[in-house]
Amino acid sequence: MQGNVEYRFEHPDEFRAYVRDRKSRKPADKLCTAGEAVSRFLSDGDYIVYDFSSLTRGPQALIREVIRQGKKDLWIGAEFTLHESALLTGAGCASRIDVGFLGYGSYIGQAVCDGRVKVYEWTNGGLALRILAGARGVPFLPTRDLLGSDNLAVSAAKVIEDPYTGLPVCLVPALNPDVAFIHVHQADPHGDARIFGTNLFALEAAMASRRVIVSAEEIIEPDDFRKDPMRTTIPYFLVDAVVHAPFGAYPGAMPARYEIDLEHVDLLNGIRTDDQMKKYLDEYVYGVADHEEFLDKRVGSSRMRELRRRASIIEGYR
Amino acid sequence: MTRTVEFTDTEFMIAQGARLMEDGKSIFVGWGIPQIVAILAQKLYVPNVVQLFEFGAVGPQSVLPFVRGTMGGPQNTFRSLQWLGMNWAFAYSASGYMDYGMLGALQVDPYGNINSTFLGGTFEKPERRFAGSGGGNQVASHCWRTVIIIKHEGRRFTPKVEFITSPGYLTGPGAREKAGLPRDTGPYRVVTSKALFGFDEKTREMTLLSVLRGANPEEVVKGMGFRPLFAREIAEIPPPTEEELRLLREEIDPSRIIIRGERMSATS
Repeated sequence: MQGNVEYRFEHPDEFRAYVRDRKSRKPADKLCTAGEAVSRFLSDGDYIVYDFSSLTRGPQALIREVIRQGKKDLWIGAEFTLHESALLTGAGCASRIDVGFLGYGSYIGQAVCDGRVKVYEWTNGGLALRILAGARGVPFLPTRDLLGSDNLAVSAAKVIEDPYTGLPVCLVPALNPDVAFIHVHQADPHGDARIFGTNLFALEAAMASRRVIVSAEEIIEPDDFRKDPMRTTIPYFLVDAVVHAPFGAYPGAMPARYEIDLEHVDLLNGIRTDDQMKKYLDEYVYGVADHEEFLDKRVGSSRMRELRRRASIIEGYR
Repeated sequence: MTRTVEFTDTEFMIAQGARLMEDGKSIFVGWGIPQIVAILAQKLYVPNVVQLFEFGAVGPQSVLPFVRGTMGGPQNTFRSLQWLGMNWAFAYSASGYMDYGMLGALQVDPYGNINSTFLGGTFEKPERRFAGSGGGNQVASHCWRTVIIIKHEGRRFTPKVEFITSPGYLTGPGAREKAGLPRDTGPYRVVTSKALFGFDEKTREMTLLSVLRGANPEEVVKGMGFRPLFAREIAEIPPPTEEELRLLREEIDPSRIIIRGERMSATS
């Protein structure tokens, strides 16, 4: 059983040529606003991926900016897409989603049933492997899952005979997204970035994507990375734009910085109808000019202080 | 001395799931109820179990109370042995290091195939759409023994799942191997809010092993979408212990958002 469905793919040589010609290895100041980063590096019809989840270290400030700018026809590669897929679909920005895990709530489920957004099933492991293949410059990677399941029929994974064991093995095609959004703890103006805690595929996605937008809680000096290279998650020459976005993962949590805002998350989970979606977007996305105004007018300093206070687990994060 | 214990179906499901775990073994933990099962088990029964989360936490020991809605946050990745990413997490299961996997399910069939993707209609035009695989497909494909946790509602047990999200024994003996899945893997137990099932070694069909103390096995399987095989002797499962309930209610989920459910009772 093999699916005959559309899938994002480009020849590894085309991606290599893009990296050769368009990704500068020269350090440069890439600091800009979320508005500038999204308008300059994201186009209608692009394929985007992001790291990590809606609830933890997700690039929520960047997602809200995408909606604010009214981008269209995006294709999302989504592992833990709990709220992004609902918001991007509800705002008319996304038309296709590769999953992953398509949670939460009935809004996105209903959108799929209504045919407003197309979904392809790669599973979390399959998507992560596709991005790894994209980063490794190979056209595909083999895996011993997806086999026997119906996901095969609704993805473009293929089953072939493994030349080494003679057994069936599953292949997933490389994925080289147009844009990766990665929210990090610390970055310098060149794009060197640090993540503390677990991740999905931050480095793989940064390497595999044509353009990389990093949003960071804190901006530090390039020399800080040289002094402590074990802690570098992403080196600058993979990165195209750096956005200083404190509380950029809100309403999700940023490990060791601030906790999840469960009240706001419940508000998102409660969106069932287009009217409720429109009301939410008007209030929290369209109704504010940018992330700073969002924090100032819709979250507020006392709320932020409280969420920071709740982030009491520091051990392991530095 | 016996007494009547009152509990919810969810509490019973979690408690009997926790009792299945083996100390000194590893378990790939799915999102949701399996997280609670693993926490309870590690606190009470299996201090040396190695938990693994697909979001890159190896050997975490959750802080309590459990924070709902956390996914890779500091609470459920606390005191891990190692933090990394998803490709490495699945490497641990694909290379044979995961003894158990534990998954929730929307729908399950006699061969332990799991549907978590949609109900009714077709994939392209479903009547109801759910979250889908996440990493469940990898867990059910790679782990040596997969434990499925599911509420004992008749419609969740169906002769044939509408979509195989995560593979059980597929169409029967030998089918997993034929499909290319790793040898000697597959579903091991189905933990429900009323009973415990295994799988027949020869036919690979779901088999009733035990029921909650005081429950009638025939009553338990009535209403399931298929009739499971019966073990030669159906054992009884004691209700949640005082300690299990205390941990669940006071330490793990004091707001009782996760453990709430249908009220049940049995004699201790």
